Amino acid sequence: MFRYLALRIAQAILTIFVTVTIVFLLIRLAPGDPAYAYAGPLATAEQLDAVRRQFGLDQPLIVQYFHFLGGIFQGDTGTSYSFRQPALSVVMDRLPYTITLAIAAIVIAIIISIPLGVWMARRQNTGREATASILTIAGQSMPDFWIGIMLVTLFSVLLPWFPSSGFETWGGLVLPALTVAILQVAVLSRIVRREVAQTLQAPFITVARSRGVAGAGLVWGYGVRNSLVPVVTALGTRFAGLLNGVVVVEVVFGWPGIGSLVVRALETRDYPLIQSTVVVTAILAVLVQLVVDLVYPLLDPRVRLGRKVVS
Amino acid sequence: MSAVTDSVFKKSAVVRAARATRVKIIVGAVLTLIVVVPIVLARVLPVPDPNAQDVFLRLAAPGTEGHLFGTDQLGRDLFSRILYGGQVSLLIGVMAVLVSGVLGVVLGSLAGYYGGKVDAVISRLIEAQLSLPLLMMLLLVVALFGSSIPVIAFVIAIANWPEPARLTRAMVLVEREKPYVAAAVVLGVKRFAILLKHVIPNVISQAVVLALLLLAQAVLLESALSFLGAGPQRPFATWGRIISDGQDFIGSAWWIVTIPGLVIAFLVIGVNLIGDGLQQGSVGAAFRRLARSVTAMPGRK
Repeated sequence: MFRYLALRIAQAILTIFVTVTIVFLLIRLAPGDPAYAYAGPLATAEQLDAVRRQFGLDQPLIVQYFHFLGGIFQGDTGTSYSFRQPALSVVMDRLPYTITLAIAAIVIAIIISIPLGVWMARRQNTGREATASILTIAGQSMPDFWIGIMLVTLFSVLLPWFPSSGFETWGGLVLPALTVAILQVAVLSRIVRREVAQTLQAPFITVARSRGVAGAGLVWGYGVRNSLVPVVTALGTRFAGLLNGVVVVEVVFGWPGIGSLVVRALETRDYPLIQSTVVVTAILAVLVQLVVDLVYPLLDPRVRLGRKVVS
Repeated sequence: MSAVTDSVFKKSAVVRAARATRVKIIVGAVLTLIVVVPIVLARVLPVPDPNAQDVFLRLAAPGTEGHLFGTDQLGRDLFSRILYGGQVSLLIGVMAVLVSGVLGVVLGSLAGYYGGKVDAVISRLIEAQLSLPLLMMLLLVVALFGSSIPVIAFVIAIANWPEPARLTRAMVLVEREKPYVAAAVVLGVKRFAILLKHVIPNVISQAVVLALLLLAQAVLLESALSFLGAGPQRPFATWGRIISDGQDFIGSAWWIVTIPGLVIAFLVIGVNLIGDGLQQGSVGAAFRRLARSVTAMPGRK
């Protein structure tokens, strides 16, 4: 158990470390002078030199790298060019909004996709299931930003039910969360269908049926209960994808999270800010995955942490 | 007379599943062709220049004066812009799929075939990448290296390589235990040569099917990057930017946003349906045989 925990945490740290290293290399490999980007086009050669000294850009690459790593340990990921304050604190100010949106989207996705997947699993190879299956493919195939614009047009322009942007009231959360959730519902419900359909073929289901367990009790108590591990795994691995969706959808809805922040940073070429969001979202995603991995034994007592789960 | 009549047979689950697969592939092919054929033929079709502005005909509704899909805020023909934008999207998509496919197959087969440390490194890399929200990183790359078509194609390829790598690794793991590999070892064929000439040709057809699904992902990702302002820059009209620019006119000109989105959805649904159908069912098996015979050709003497 502890061995497993240590191993998983080491792996999580390694993932973050690799991410940070790649970010560092990308910035140093890129054409263009970071001092120039900070000081602006009117800076003189002396000013550029001063900026270089200030940020340690005149030092050897390896020294810069350890500076960079050390900075991240102390929560220093550089100064945002456009905000003129620590990039990390700018990101942290926006992070709660992004997390709110992500959680709302996950809740919606779970509420819809599990019953939908079970419904599809029970009606495999019927006309209605085929229709539902094609709908889920369609759900995966539409650009999320476009779904967002369509929902705004329908439910805030044509029918003024929800605000079209911002987060002043809880109503403002409905459309963005729904937009992010649609893709996740499409993917998750297919996974639920596959897993539940497979579990329902298992011998213990036949045994339960012969003992008189039937209907919803059989499907939910036996079928779904025993399909949860792969479904939760999928939820964990989908979280990174969900964050990607959140970034795009935030821009559509003017949501005050890190997604709209990073796009603004892109326009102003604010590298420290983009770099901070990369690091913060990477840590967030890795943490979520770690938590999901540690939840398995609660769902399936047969899973002992540390032994390989046969998937 | 058999008790299994034709109508009973038609109702069986297997037959229904096979029919569903066939329907998926046909519907998918039709949707894909509806989008792809006009895009490929854009230069020979009688459409206006995608960048020609007409200030007297701004935000014209679909169907007015020969503008099939109407015009945008600068009076440019939307149909033509969608076709030429599609060329950029498809070009980037195909480039990205080629790079990610090659990268994925090479790394995946190395991991599956050699196992041990090679596998550990590559598998950890795949896991790490899949657990990261990559879009931020892609935006950083585009911000740093500029948003030219090769950079964007490369960025999308990097985002997509784990899928083919995982699939290839899993298939090579199965394949390397088969008797023909042992036979080749006994015959004294070098290990790398076995991988290259015997194992990879046997798994490549599945990867070809996956390439279709990757193309769908690439088109979606490119449109998202363009929408966020990290797509190919002007003068290229891209689907994501047409939608992004049209957002402000959604109240007065619904078509600028709605139609490009539908075109993307048609293409991606079509490609996904074909891929989904090919992965299962007998038509898929036939296609895989075909792909195998085609891809195995160059190796033959």
